[in-house]
Amino acid sequence: MNQLMAARSLTTLPVVTLGGDAVAQIKDTVFDAAAGRITGFTLSGRGLLSGPLKQSLPWPAVHALGPHAVMIVDAGALADTPVVVARREAQQGRVLHAKVLTDEGAEVGTVLDVVVEGGTSGRVVGFRIAAVKSLVRGSRRHRHRVYVPRGDTLAVSGRALVIPADATRYVADDLPAFVARVSAFHEGHEGTPS
Amino acid sequence: MMLFSQARGLPVLTLTEAEELGVLRSLTVDATAGVVTHVRVRGRHSRKESVLAWGALHALGPDAVLVRSATAPAEVPPHHELPGLRILTETGDWLGTVQDVAFEPDTGRIEAVVTAQGDVPADRLLGLGDYALVVRAG
Repeated sequence: MNQLMAARSLTTLPVVTLGGDAVAQIKDTVFDAAAGRITGFTLSGRGLLSGPLKQSLPWPAVHALGPHAVMIVDAGALADTPVVVARREAQQGRVLHAKVLTDEGAEVGTVLDVVVEGGTSGRVVGFRIAAVKSLVRGSRRHRHRVYVPRGDTLAVSGRALVIPADATRYVADDLPAFVARVSAFHEGHEGTPS
Repeated sequence: MMLFSQARGLPVLTLTEAEELGVLRSLTVDATAGVVTHVRVRGRHSRKESVLAWGALHALGPDAVLVRSATAPAEVPPHHELPGLRILTETGDWLGTVQDVAFEPDTGRIEAVVTAQGDVPADRLLGLGDYALVVRAG
């Protein structure tokens, strides 16, 4: 599996051509309506005083998403902003802070961040959530932040997001541990009849 | 085999008059082709930097660089200083920074890029820009 990254940590990541030039940096990550995958990035210029760019980066133009850079073939890959932004406006504020419910109707928490797979897939593999107390057993902390995998089916409607109930058995406290949990979650799913 | 760090600082002289043009400051590399294309020379007194095409060199020896002609090339590509530059793989991973570059002084062919994590062979080089040296993931 490719490296997992939190979408918020992608902000300020440089956009680098295979020719070695940094042409922009990530401003925001844009997801599709079902929060299934990354559709693109809005960009800002590099440096302290540079503001948002008119151009954006659609996902198909990404060569690879890595922990230290978003690689593109050349600067021609950047598109005019409206392509990506239209989706962003529909999406913004929807996933973050959305309520997470299981398909059995239990509230799990609220979304703090979206965990994506790097490389060429751009898939959303899970969420970092502020969990409700009942989810994290033994914890007395008021708010507990955990990673929870997404299921194969994921419904996002209005302000809530529904994940399979058994996904809550695969929560992890940090990103490295989450990598193992995600694989375990998918293996567990292959074994159980739906 | 020679290192950029060894070539740097060598006196540059014309072959016919043995006139000293200055010292070798840096080497400009075409990463895709894997060759040194130009050398940059800084004058001893004027401190002005001039550019010579690799083809204008007669020999790059252990103690001096001899050039056939000191005329500047018509077209000078942008120079990106390799030593100290960060290295990224095409998958967006960090591979450290360039410590030195090993090259063949007869042909100008790059052999490897030296990093703290080991050598990166020249055939893995993809591109060289103002931000990074991009290499194929190994």
